[in-house]
Amino acid sequence: MRKILKNTLDYLESRVDYADIRFVDNDRETIEVENGILSAYNISNNRGVGIRVLVNGAWGFASTNNLNKESLLETAEQSLKIAMASSLIKKEDIRLAREERHVDSYTTPIVMDPFKVNPEKKIELLVRATRRMLKDKVKKSEGILDFYKTHKLFLSTEGSEIKQTIIESGGGITAHAIEEGEFQTRSYPASFGGDYATSGYEFIEKIKLLENAERIAHEANELLVAPPCPEGSTDIVIGGSQLALQVHESCGHPVELDRVLGKELSYAGGSFLTLDKLNHFSYGSPLVNITADATLPKGLGTFGFDDEGVPAGRTFLVKRGKFTGYLTSREDAFKLGQKSNGTARAESWNRIPLIRMTNINLLPGNFNLNELIGDIKNGLFLDYNKSWSIDDKRLNFQFGTELAREIKNGKLGKIFKNAIYQGITPEFWHACDGISNEKYWHTWGVANCGKGQPGQTMHVGHGTSPARFRNIKVGASK
Amino acid sequence: MKDITFWKNFIKKIKKELKVLDFEMVAIESNSGLTRFTQSYIHQNVAEKNLDLTFKVINKDRISTVKLNTLDESEVKKTVKRAIELSEIMPVLDYHYCLLEPQIYKIKSQFSEKTENFTPLDRAQKIVQLVERIGQKGYESSGALETGIETLIVANSEGVFAFDRKTTVDFNTVITKNNSTAYHSFVSSEINHLNIKRICDELLNTAFRNLNQVEIQPGNYTVILSPEAVAEILSETGYAGFDGKLIMEKKSFISGKQGKKLFPESITISDDPFDKLTMPIPFDFVGYPRGKVDLIKNGVIVDGVYDHLTALKYNKNCTGNTLPPESASMGAASFNIAMKQGEDQLEDMILNTEKGVYINRFHYVNMLNPMSIELTGMTKDGTFLIENGQLTKAIKNMRFNTSVVDLLKSVDMISRERQTKPGFVGPVVAPYIRTNHFIFSSKTNF
Repeated sequence: MRKILKNTLDYLESRVDYADIRFVDNDRETIEVENGILSAYNISNNRGVGIRVLVNGAWGFASTNNLNKESLLETAEQSLKIAMASSLIKKEDIRLAREERHVDSYTTPIVMDPFKVNPEKKIELLVRATRRMLKDKVKKSEGILDFYKTHKLFLSTEGSEIKQTIIESGGGITAHAIEEGEFQTRSYPASFGGDYATSGYEFIEKIKLLENAERIAHEANELLVAPPCPEGSTDIVIGGSQLALQVHESCGHPVELDRVLGKELSYAGGSFLTLDKLNHFSYGSPLVNITADATLPKGLGTFGFDDEGVPAGRTFLVKRGKFTGYLTSREDAFKLGQKSNGTARAESWNRIPLIRMTNINLLPGNFNLNELIGDIKNGLFLDYNKSWSIDDKRLNFQFGTELAREIKNGKLGKIFKNAIYQGITPEFWHACDGISNEKYWHTWGVANCGKGQPGQTMHVGHGTSPARFRNIKVGASK
Repeated sequence: MKDITFWKNFIKKIKKELKVLDFEMVAIESNSGLTRFTQSYIHQNVAEKNLDLTFKVINKDRISTVKLNTLDESEVKKTVKRAIELSEIMPVLDYHYCLLEPQIYKIKSQFSEKTENFTPLDRAQKIVQLVERIGQKGYESSGALETGIETLIVANSEGVFAFDRKTTVDFNTVITKNNSTAYHSFVSSEINHLNIKRICDELLNTAFRNLNQVEIQPGNYTVILSPEAVAEILSETGYAGFDGKLIMEKKSFISGKQGKKLFPESITISDDPFDKLTMPIPFDFVGYPRGKVDLIKNGVIVDGVYDHLTALKYNKNCTGNTLPPESASMGAASFNIAMKQGEDQLEDMILNTEKGVYINRFHYVNMLNPMSIELTGMTKDGTFLIENGQLTKAIKNMRFNTSVVDLLKSVDMISRERQTKPGFVGPVVAPYIRTNHFIFSSKTNF
């Protein structure tokens, strides 16, 4: 494949300001079980080549699943025509931040290749876990295992040549307690498909689906007869799984520099973290430290190089509460006079790289979880996402959680259903007065982050530990 | 793109490869281009040629599904062989999987040669027209214009062979000047129907009003929703309320309510490929012919839509709403949601509203409670206060937490005019509606 890619790049070299070519070959295996019965065993392979050219200061991109030499040359020609069309209306020539030439490779370190694990073993795990959840009013149980192996080859006219193999494993279980006119759901380890990591099958063994099946079924049954979450303003502790999505929506997206520059305006929206706020804006309390770290072992947003050939790195986005950095691509970093921090990623060969979250992490604090809860007289412990929504500047958010537990005089108490909490991003992060320590810290994998037109789904990670927030508006969905 | 003869021959080869085993095949061959612009210049411009080829192998009620994106003979053979191997170790289903028999299709997708032949340069020129018109009034525009062609082939070992080709045009734009914004979306099969001049006039009309936004307090309001906003609500309702699988699992608000009158007489919602304003597909992803399915008729809950698997499992009739094989476990989807028109004119709806809010568009809508279809989301790009029958002031963006069931129960005016807007899995045909139940739960300062 390398030879044919290089041949295509050579064909383009004299006619472009810059070009890169990416070959992506992705294998996926998804197993789904419902109520102890296999409902899907899907395997897929998807491969192709994307060619991105910068001509006359404007971008063109064309992609194809047909990998012969003639098809790639035709696709290269098409990318040139598209770039010429782009140059019909431009404000200024696109320029790229400087990047060194990299000839390198990266492979996700794994212990057990998930694609080599016996299919029957994988099915059996989900069959047993979903059967175990069918207790009392739990009439529907679901389990999923999901594995990806992605080979990438990147070549650019700047001489970079990067080979990567990324392996991802994920899984989760869900119990639905159902009675006339209502159902309640509990998921483990996280909602909406479970937890994911760049890891082999050892990740699935570590998350212990079977061992947690009965507990979440019990909680789903409890929720069905629980009172709705009370309305008002109260102190809350947010568990790691829900906090991962809070970080995702209220920090991860607004620090994407392309959003800040208006490139997502007609679709996903903009950002309140405008350029004038960089290094001048108090985003949260001094306890709040947030990084983008694509080097974090096992994070779902971990890789060797992004899809522009920039090495994975670690950047502070928020330091001691102050907003200090954006996620950048080569094109947008140039506008700030910076180097790219390596976050331009494409869903696959048929999409262009966009600025995407890597692992966006709320760094751990110094508290034990019982200290966070112990210092609340009346409040709530909330975890496991059920619903999310945030405005187009990423300020007014509202989340629903599967689970809410009363905190009374520093102790966890009864369970509430249908909890929601709402806030305004900087006010919310300023209300943070405690983050639990490394012992509770986990990198959650979120495999469904959407952005761009045409749409791109990206796999990202979030390191979090439970944290406390004072005087937050809570209520219940109806 | 490969023609019908190629695919007929291809299926013969697959039959040979699979010998006595049953199979279903779905192939989607696509060729599309999308031009994206922001602040009045093109910043992304892409093209894609692709193929999705999925085989479901049925081996005595043991099923495996494999997918690839090449027609390379050795790769196809290898993948089919893998599907056979996998099917042998799969557990047996808890119901008998029957293949569909050959069908007759009455509908064809819409196809436009103009759209098929629309080039990146043509797309750029359309965008130049928009940017220049909007720019003359000092506004900047952002958005995307996508044109594409897609061939869908569904076949099985019982002799089903369904072939269809369609074109699509998908356009959206937001225009901005300081806090003044407006939004428009357009979906069609025909590029010639994309009338940039008319869209610019509508955008500027909204944007000129959308100035000096004021705050209002959260609470229950009478609202008039645009077709764009209604389409979003109907998409969410279709997904969470009318999927037959959820109904059978008692996870839908209509479970057990079939035949009950929940809504005013004026509410009729269907999945209707025959609606004049929709963009139909002739068959679903196992080859069932598409037909009209009443979801709510004259205020009475009728039933939902059923996919092939759910129909087999629960002894129901498949309604031609089966999803592609890799999404089979999700149940069924309404591909052509359409809400029946009313008798009212938008102008009269506003004129007859003493105090209310007009909503042009929602942002980031998500489900809070599927059993009441309680949704949350934000208003955006043109929300206006209605006072004494007139749009008086623009309103800052508001968050809503509101139940679609309660919203539809309180609908008292529906427009004659309907528009076709993009939905989750297909276009949605929606009118303007007025409802006396809409809960704003919090506000923003912009």
